[in-house]
Amino acid sequence: MISKSLAQKVLNAALATGGDYAEIYAEQKESSSIVLENGKVDSVGGHLTYGAGIRILQGLRSVYGYTSDLSEKSLLSLATKLAASYEGERLFTVTSIKKQRVKVINKIEDSLMDVPTEEKISYLKECYEATKSVDERLVRIQDAFSNYRTTIEIFSAEGEEGKQFENCEERGRLVMVAFAAGEGNQIETAFKGPGRYDGWNYFTKVLDYKDKAKQVGEKAIMMLSAKECPSGNYSVVIANGWGGVLFHEACGHSLEATATAKGLSVFSDSIGKQIASPIVSAFDDGTIANEWGSNNIDSEGHVTQKNQLIKDGICVGFLVDKANGRRLNMEANGCSRRQSYRYAPTSRMSNTYIAAGKDDPEQIIKDTKLGIYVADFGGGSVEPTTGEFNFSASEAYIIRDGKICEPVKGCTLIGSGKEVLMNIDRVGNDVALGQGMCGSLSGSIPVNVGQPTLRISRITVGGRGGKLE
Amino acid sequence: MNFDKFFALAKEKGITEAQIQVSKSTATSVKLFKHEIDSYSVNDSQAIIACGIYNGKFGSGTTQKFGKDSFEFLVNQIIMTATYSEKMNDIGLFKGSEKYTKKNVFSKELEETPMAKKLEVLRSIEDGIYAFDGRFTEAEVSYSERSSSSEFYNSYDLKLKQKSNYFYVYAGAVARVGEETKTFGDVFLDNTFSKFNKDAFVKGICEKTLSKFGGAPCVSGKYPTVLSRDIAADLVACFLSSAVADEVQRHSSFLEGKLEQKIASSKVTIEEKPLTKNVFFSYFDDEGVATQNKVIVKNGVLKQFFYNRETAKKDGVETTGNASWEGSKIGTDFGNIFVKPGKQSFDEMISSIKEGVYITEIAGLGTGMNSNSGDFSCQAEGYMIRDGKLAEPLNLITLSGNLLKMFSDVKAFDNNVAMTSDAISIADVYIKKMSIGGK
Repeated sequence: MISKSLAQKVLNAALATGGDYAEIYAEQKESSSIVLENGKVDSVGGHLTYGAGIRILQGLRSVYGYTSDLSEKSLLSLATKLAASYEGERLFTVTSIKKQRVKVINKIEDSLMDVPTEEKISYLKECYEATKSVDERLVRIQDAFSNYRTTIEIFSAEGEEGKQFENCEERGRLVMVAFAAGEGNQIETAFKGPGRYDGWNYFTKVLDYKDKAKQVGEKAIMMLSAKECPSGNYSVVIANGWGGVLFHEACGHSLEATATAKGLSVFSDSIGKQIASPIVSAFDDGTIANEWGSNNIDSEGHVTQKNQLIKDGICVGFLVDKANGRRLNMEANGCSRRQSYRYAPTSRMSNTYIAAGKDDPEQIIKDTKLGIYVADFGGGSVEPTTGEFNFSASEAYIIRDGKICEPVKGCTLIGSGKEVLMNIDRVGNDVALGQGMCGSLSGSIPVNVGQPTLRISRITVGGRGGKLE
Repeated sequence: MNFDKFFALAKEKGITEAQIQVSKSTATSVKLFKHEIDSYSVNDSQAIIACGIYNGKFGSGTTQKFGKDSFEFLVNQIIMTATYSEKMNDIGLFKGSEKYTKKNVFSKELEETPMAKKLEVLRSIEDGIYAFDGRFTEAEVSYSERSSSSEFYNSYDLKLKQKSNYFYVYAGAVARVGEETKTFGDVFLDNTFSKFNKDAFVKGICEKTLSKFGGAPCVSGKYPTVLSRDIAADLVACFLSSAVADEVQRHSSFLEGKLEQKIASSKVTIEEKPLTKNVFFSYFDDEGVATQNKVIVKNGVLKQFFYNRETAKKDGVETTGNASWEGSKIGTDFGNIFVKPGKQSFDEMISSIKEGVYITEIAGLGTGMNSNSGDFSCQAEGYMIRDGKLAEPLNLITLSGNLLKMFSDVKAFDNNVAMTSDAISIADVYIKKMSIGGK
């Protein structure tokens, strides 16, 4: 997209007024999507994302700009415009750019880009049939497959010798939604969206897609008979996998340097302090081969890492990007991410999970007299400054005398990150990951959340079903 | 760009009707933190979206790359996507409306106000927050402005253009007392810079932040509930998304079969007025159809769904000019919504409430809302209402309900009306009872 010689010119234009770091992030992303409505192709789409962002740092200050015109004139004009916001003398001139070796940890042998559209359509039709076969009350079924390949070039300079990184990312995602109609105007929905940084073999051979499709239908039908969720303070057992959205919202965002560096996080001064129950350890790991949130390098060119965030309840690390690392006086640790060239990068989660504990998941339920079992979530959000978070269950049940009983709907869990992590009193041994999209300062990015089955001794549950009895 | 080449290439490759839209925008934003410029950005972006009819089917493609091969890429995308479509297109592309109501909403005043002046205002907001009270420890203040143009062309010689600009100011304040941290942020969006009243903006943010100290959950139960206009606007947006004809026709809307029926309290009247001369003005939709003002709910009766040409044909009605691109297909959207306010003030409206709650903030509606059934449950905060007056602050509570039930239970709107940054003009609303989860 950008030649080395042009990159050198642009970096030097960017550094003309005293910037101490300059970076060009060029991107070309080819995306394709297919959507079926009730088994028929509703839309097939193709999109080309193309452009570059330029960032200049000077101490703690940052300027960023982007353009979708990658001509020399346009890039130089952008770099000059951005540099004009600093007033100073050039600190150094970039005299050479050295290409860096990028180790490929996510290998794909059968790219989704090469799979004929017909084949993806018949795959989605199989999913549709599997869901449809569940029950006649499923009035609408949506099946979609989307995938993309992004080619990225990063040029950066902090001294006379600049660096060049090249990376390619590929991901695919199957999304299935079922709508069940009940009495009157009652409509319940269910969703599953398995995704991976992987090829066609995974989606067709490894993933049990027909079973997942069936589960979507069954869940929507089951929700028709669900009663309103009670409200109040209860013991809540959260299933493994997607349940990890609890940690993602309650704690993960508040450990991103984006929030901690400016003192805007409830965990800003927490390193070395106990922030969770001693049975909780947690990681953010961008290096798990072919996982949804993994990458070979981050958006600044750093190699991705496995970062421990909590060890036995003690906060041991933050997720740190370059700019916020300067405020914190900490090294960047491979977690700088962005949706596209239209966003300046910042510290973000990749595959974040609570590590396995010792308990048998079934025993955790058996040991709960009255409470709520949350089997699946829709998602959630957090205000990192106060640590107050919420997340919505998409599948939940009442636990009575150690048994999972009737399903409930409209269940929201809220709390403050500080409290809820301390209230985790059981951690299972069945850690699993679930895929989602995370929205924050640098856009919407693919992330895995994860955890084993765990129990929170007390948390506020909101619903319309009155008191739990 | 010379679009004749696109239309010629499309025709040559067998695309019988074609449409192309080009959007360009430039944006600048500045963020202050601790009296320094924390980040500054300047952006130029452009995109082309094209569609056409090939072998009787609809196809589309988009690109952000403007180069010599862009037209070929788009034409090939249209052919490829149409080929795989299983839906015959029996409406074709649009030949043009009889009349278009053009208005100039591009603000020269905003363009001509120097950046230095805007930065000066931004700095004084930050200073204002710290000066307001010693409990304010951090403030994030940012300014953004965007100017954009869109052009629409199709093979029926329909040519439409629109240019607009806007700015917004965001300020978020953090106040601390011991272990307790409170934060509140607000946005002001418009296209006339002189309309921005920084003193009132700062005062509003600071007072709201400080009034949250000591907040705690209330006892779970059903309470008479007043929703501030921002919260009411969020819920109206969810409600209206069920009035989109695509959802109704696919049996996934709780408003199916409810046209001309009473679906809300008679206090509820909702109009869509895209032709209002404001920052959200739009005179043509993504099919090139002239937009029109219309009543959606009148005194509680559902009068109208939102249509594009395809969904309108299915129901045997005229399009309402609400077509909007949704990924690679033309879907439906709405904007410039006006909910009829009431006559009494906020104080008068709550004066009859013995014990109730006033909700001022919610979070998690995105995932806590089932927009198909209208059931929702989300995180909330606000204040108790006791003996007709605002009392102690509430936080970490949940607000749960059902949209149909909630709009049927509207007792009143007050006269405290304003246009939110999501293009909904609305006042605070008093609901008979809603479920609150807390202690």
